[in-house]
Amino acid sequence: MCVKHSKGAPESVPPFTSLFLAQPGARGLDTQSVNTVLGPIAASELGVTLLSESLMYVLPGAQYAHDIRIDRAEVFDAIAAKLLAFKAAGGGTIVDATGMFEGRDLRLYEALSRATGVHIVASTGQGPEAMLGGYFLTPQTNPPAPWPAHKFADMFGREVNEGMVVPRLERRAPAGMIATAVTVSGMTATDGSLVRGAARAGASYGVPVSIRCGADAVAELQLAIDETLQPERIVMADLDRRDAVANGWPLAVARAGALVGINHVGSTGAQYLSDAERVALIVALIEAGHADRIIVSASATGVAFGAAGNDIAYSHVLTHFVPMLRDAGVTQEQIEQILITNTAQLLSVTGEVK
Amino acid sequence: MTRVNTVLGTISASELGFVAIHEHIGYGMPGCELDSRWWKTPEQRYADTVPKLRAFHENTKPWGAATFVEATGICNGRDIDYYKSLSDKTGVHIVASTGFVGGDTALPFFEQASVEYLTDQFVHEITVGIGDTGAKAGIIKVGVSRGFKMKELDLRIYRAAARASRLTGAPIFTHLAVDSAPALAIFAEEQLPCHRVLFGHADDGVSQGKINEKGILDAGGRIGFDTFGYDLELPDPPFWGRHRQERLQHFLRFLNSGLVHQVLASADANCSPLGWAGVKGHTVNYLFEQLIPDLRAEGIADVVIDQLFVHNTAGFLALQPNPQQ
Repeated sequence: MCVKHSKGAPESVPPFTSLFLAQPGARGLDTQSVNTVLGPIAASELGVTLLSESLMYVLPGAQYAHDIRIDRAEVFDAIAAKLLAFKAAGGGTIVDATGMFEGRDLRLYEALSRATGVHIVASTGQGPEAMLGGYFLTPQTNPPAPWPAHKFADMFGREVNEGMVVPRLERRAPAGMIATAVTVSGMTATDGSLVRGAARAGASYGVPVSIRCGADAVAELQLAIDETLQPERIVMADLDRRDAVANGWPLAVARAGALVGINHVGSTGAQYLSDAERVALIVALIEAGHADRIIVSASATGVAFGAAGNDIAYSHVLTHFVPMLRDAGVTQEQIEQILITNTAQLLSVTGEVK
Repeated sequence: MTRVNTVLGTISASELGFVAIHEHIGYGMPGCELDSRWWKTPEQRYADTVPKLRAFHENTKPWGAATFVEATGICNGRDIDYYKSLSDKTGVHIVASTGFVGGDTALPFFEQASVEYLTDQFVHEITVGIGDTGAKAGIIKVGVSRGFKMKELDLRIYRAAARASRLTGAPIFTHLAVDSAPALAIFAEEQLPCHRVLFGHADDGVSQGKINEKGILDAGGRIGFDTFGYDLELPDPPFWGRHRQERLQHFLRFLNSGLVHQVLASADANCSPLGWAGVKGHTVNYLFEQLIPDLRAEGIADVVIDQLFVHNTAGFLALQPNPQQ
């Protein structure tokens, strides 16, 4: 599936051009490797991959709530059971797409990956603006100017190039994806800085960027592309929202060359399509020639604190949704393309997979 | 009986000795922990902090004890177990805060919370404890978000603080004394007498001309001259700095007009800042090295200095449930 690499010729590393970011480290540009919490692995090892899940979700601040107790042993067992069910259903890799500030716990994820054998990819990034701490919005400067794109690019880029942070303690494995989001009611100035910063870091360090869309997915995608990030390195997520479909964004995003995140499989919320409607959307995208631009995942929460999680299983896509796709005439090859190949290509640090 | 919550347990207000009413072991804006440019090793943090607290302890010997009121709110790097170890090893009493430095330092979970929930949070931290540390908060922090104007979230936090203060008897101190009218209205509505509230940073350089001192004083509130040492004479002063003499003369006007009972003083220094560079050379010990000598040079009697740093503070910090006017 990667013609360029099938003859064994290594792709030359493009010249580093960023004015703002440090030179990528050697491990940041390993060809066809994916950054997992246990280190880089070959993209071909990922198997069925869900791109937008959450392992431990903590709404920022909930860790300080007087009536919330986070029992790490209980959390571990609860997530491990869900990961094992995913594996039993044929799953290979879970991407925690909640970024760096909503409960990401790298040491927990490493232990979970070791214990279950499920590959775990953790993400850097933040957003939308409402999820940020005051450090980024009202810094101790006069005036308190919110962070610009280049500072986000630097912070996210370092999480790829030097490793993800355990706050005030250490850096661990490099981030496998940069996840950000735009405010649903419309992009704020800081949302714009987050998208541009994420795109700039993604372009410099070769990891994909996931953008949960706001009020104009096409414009938000263009903002990222304008930062010289190739569209095939971008997944526009939440495109199975009803407003996204009503606005024609899935097809527009696919035509622009980015990936279409149909990432709430199993959700029954009024703002989302039903699973049957998701199947129809996927069929339409395939018929339009965009099978290589479809991402399917569930945004399932392992455990959640401070916000309602959902009780969607990581295995739901495989156990419930794949049979629906088959019934609609989607071929096994197309299903594997969506769940294995598209995700592997996206997560490969060079963007392609043998 | 008087009671004050310190991180190592509840003590009599008579044991507090010399009190620095608004200080920080370490303060940082929420999220700064993600930015590794500010990280310090535990060795560095203790090395930065312990000598300052030991000097503070030594400086307070004439008053018998040292109390350091830690003004870092929830989400700003408040670290109770660390404070406990520092208190235990240096002998300095440390009083920890519940509450928030301002609405813009409250993370989304609290930003979305009701007045009732915030009240429960503060009451729990004062009466049961903070997290699983076993330590109880001794004071409630509130404040005005950047921009010198109360925002809706600031007001929600003020109201919850007023209710928690009424229930627990813990005092309130504010970050900034600007835009005080809405705050005074809330305290009146919640029937909290304003002597339980210290309107802080009334002496900083950026607030001058924006503070209704008379309104606060007439309501019975206390005025905080609690950024002593952020002097524009420093090599690299912060934007809220002020000329040393100007601040001192401002303070003396209060002391010399019979208002000594309504003012409190402190330095607002960070022992080891968390998410910013801090101000080099500025420590809590400015109070002994500069302020008290300045006051004495201006003819302020020791009995007034004792009133400021021992008696006013003890009366303010002692828990007073359902206080009377």
